[in-house]
Amino acid sequence: MKIKKPNIGILLFVLVGVVPFAAAFVYALLYSFGVIGVANNGFTFQFWESVLASGTFFTSLRYSFMIALVAVLISVGGALWITLKFREQLEKRFLSFIIYLPLAIPGIVTGFFTFQLFSKGGFFARISHKLGFITEASQFPDLVNDGLAIGIIFSFITMIMPFFVLLFLNVYKNERVEELSILAQSLGASANQITQRVFLPILIKKTWVLIVLYFIFLLGAYEVPLILGQESPQMLSVLIIQEIKQYDLDKISEGYVVAVLYTLIVSIAAIVLFLPKKNRAYAN
Amino acid sequence: MKKIYYILFGFLLSLMVLSCGEKSKQDDEKLKSAPWEEVEAKANGTTVNFMMWQGSTAINDYINNYVVPSVKEKYNIDLQISGGQGPEIVQLVMGEKQANIYEGQVDMVWINGETFFQLRKVDGLWGPFVEQLPNASLIDFEDAFINTDFQQPVNGMEAPWSINQFAIVYDYEKVPNPPKSIPELENFIKQHPGTFTISNDFTGMTLLKSLLAELGGEPNVLDGPFNEKKYNQLSEKLWSFINDNKQYFWKEGRTFPKEQSKMNQLYANGELLIAYGFSEGGIEDKVLNGLYPKTTKGYAWENGTIRNSNYLGILHNSPQKSGAMQVINFLLSPEAQLKKADANGMDSNTVLAMDKLDLEWKDKFLEARKRQYGPTLKQLEVNAIAEPAPEYMIRLYEDFRKKVIEN
Repeated sequence: MKIKKPNIGILLFVLVGVVPFAAAFVYALLYSFGVIGVANNGFTFQFWESVLASGTFFTSLRYSFMIALVAVLISVGGALWITLKFREQLEKRFLSFIIYLPLAIPGIVTGFFTFQLFSKGGFFARISHKLGFITEASQFPDLVNDGLAIGIIFSFITMIMPFFVLLFLNVYKNERVEELSILAQSLGASANQITQRVFLPILIKKTWVLIVLYFIFLLGAYEVPLILGQESPQMLSVLIIQEIKQYDLDKISEGYVVAVLYTLIVSIAAIVLFLPKKNRAYAN
Repeated sequence: MKKIYYILFGFLLSLMVLSCGEKSKQDDEKLKSAPWEEVEAKANGTTVNFMMWQGSTAINDYINNYVVPSVKEKYNIDLQISGGQGPEIVQLVMGEKQANIYEGQVDMVWINGETFFQLRKVDGLWGPFVEQLPNASLIDFEDAFINTDFQQPVNGMEAPWSINQFAIVYDYEKVPNPPKSIPELENFIKQHPGTFTISNDFTGMTLLKSLLAELGGEPNVLDGPFNEKKYNQLSEKLWSFINDNKQYFWKEGRTFPKEQSKMNQLYANGELLIAYGFSEGGIEDKVLNGLYPKTTKGYAWENGTIRNSNYLGILHNSPQKSGAMQVINFLLSPEAQLKKADANGMDSNTVLAMDKLDLEWKDKFLEARKRQYGPTLKQLEVNAIAEPAPEYMIRLYEDFRKKVIEN
């Protein structure tokens, strides 16, 4: 059989991208039904029943969903605003360097920075104490390991907002938004109309795939919620790892149930969203 | 046609691998009764992989700068260290079992009773081997804190390495009279809200075991095999005590630190007034490193805190079992144990019985550098209780999550 060149690319993609993922998924699926696993005794629905009955998974899913949604909305909104207001300044060298910098910092480091800055014994708490705003560490507001996930959301924003700023700046240039704006202006559009009818629709339409992908990425984030999250509810990845690594070997399969459920939900969502549609615009 | 050759080749290859596994299994059985000289001869020139918790500089320093060069010089053994504790070890063993790997990555592991229980459950340990070690004769196996690990007889499947007791840590300048019982703790947290918490890990669960024993009315109430009825009765009281007083805990009990190291930091920066931990509180090196104030002290609960030993085991699929035995024997030698007891170093209590040592070594142990800040094992001795059966810990974990954290 002759192999054509484009086929090699697809073959490589399948080998590197699909096969390991599919194998891991099948492994997790079998583990979740107790078919494999040294401490398991054969096929059972027991683990699925107990995960679905306990409700922890759905609480975690809701919690992760809300955190990722808030973080993406604030990041995209902030990035749009920055692009709109500070586009010219950002094209200068120094500022664009500052924007690139956070992209080079891994999530786990961002998590630690946030903890160092905002914990009750952290940088801001110490400054507040020195300035006399608080007299005891416990008076400093709960900003990390807190119920509203403020620390997690803050870290996510610092991680992805710079990316969206760069993306929007590029789309702005490539799609000639500036020229279109001038055109609209000469046809009598007000500044608000230009923003709402020209600037926003073009930028969002060209980037929505990436926005959704970042949302999915945050949904499954691990390090940041591990450092900055609370013990309950937890974000999904933290919950999965905790279940898989637990002391009670008989319940390890429950972690795999959560992993399988999560993979299914994300995959279905991705398929529905990205199914080829007519007349659709892709991000560049 | 070609396909058939491939299949045949694969079949032969797997047969070969299987037969190798069979052969090494037989060798391993012989090793269990081999004279020490033979073990020593086999150990010479091997590379031994040791998986251990590497979370402390003092421990890493002891292993990397003392044990590794010593076993190379004395026995020509290359000791390789890899990081990993309880769950990682169990995961590794389970993964390798699943994949039918007869020659695993790791030879020996540093474990405690919980991991011992799990590894026994999946037949992950090799042994018994301890009796063969010459230095085992220096250990008092009559001591219940050594011969029983979480209520399970050790039976030579793991060698004790050090012994320690859980202690409560406090700053005597800030808290002149720290609580020593549940009613005192209740008063204390009402007077100092937000300064106490329970870490959601091994350490926190160990504190809960002490509280459970206290609720049972006597130090040894949890001894023996797991008793469901007793657990339900006592834990009910425990959860209602915690939930009734949760609002006085750190962060009003809405969340709990994930692990002990986080709790230690909260103690160091003054958020918590009380911390706790194994190794008699682990106070010495933290004061010497400047993390804890010099006014830090440790004590045991009135009804007792858990005392246990930690152990060294050999994995069932270790490729260098004789090498691992030689290294473990060295770690149990008076020389290595003395070095480990240095209060400015690893600061861990020896498992060797003083009355079994030569006079010369006994004197050396007596002259060894003593702690300046933390309590000694001897001082806590009267309040020592044994580890209850592993199921207590598993249930405490589960219920602490369900009935306290998620409540």
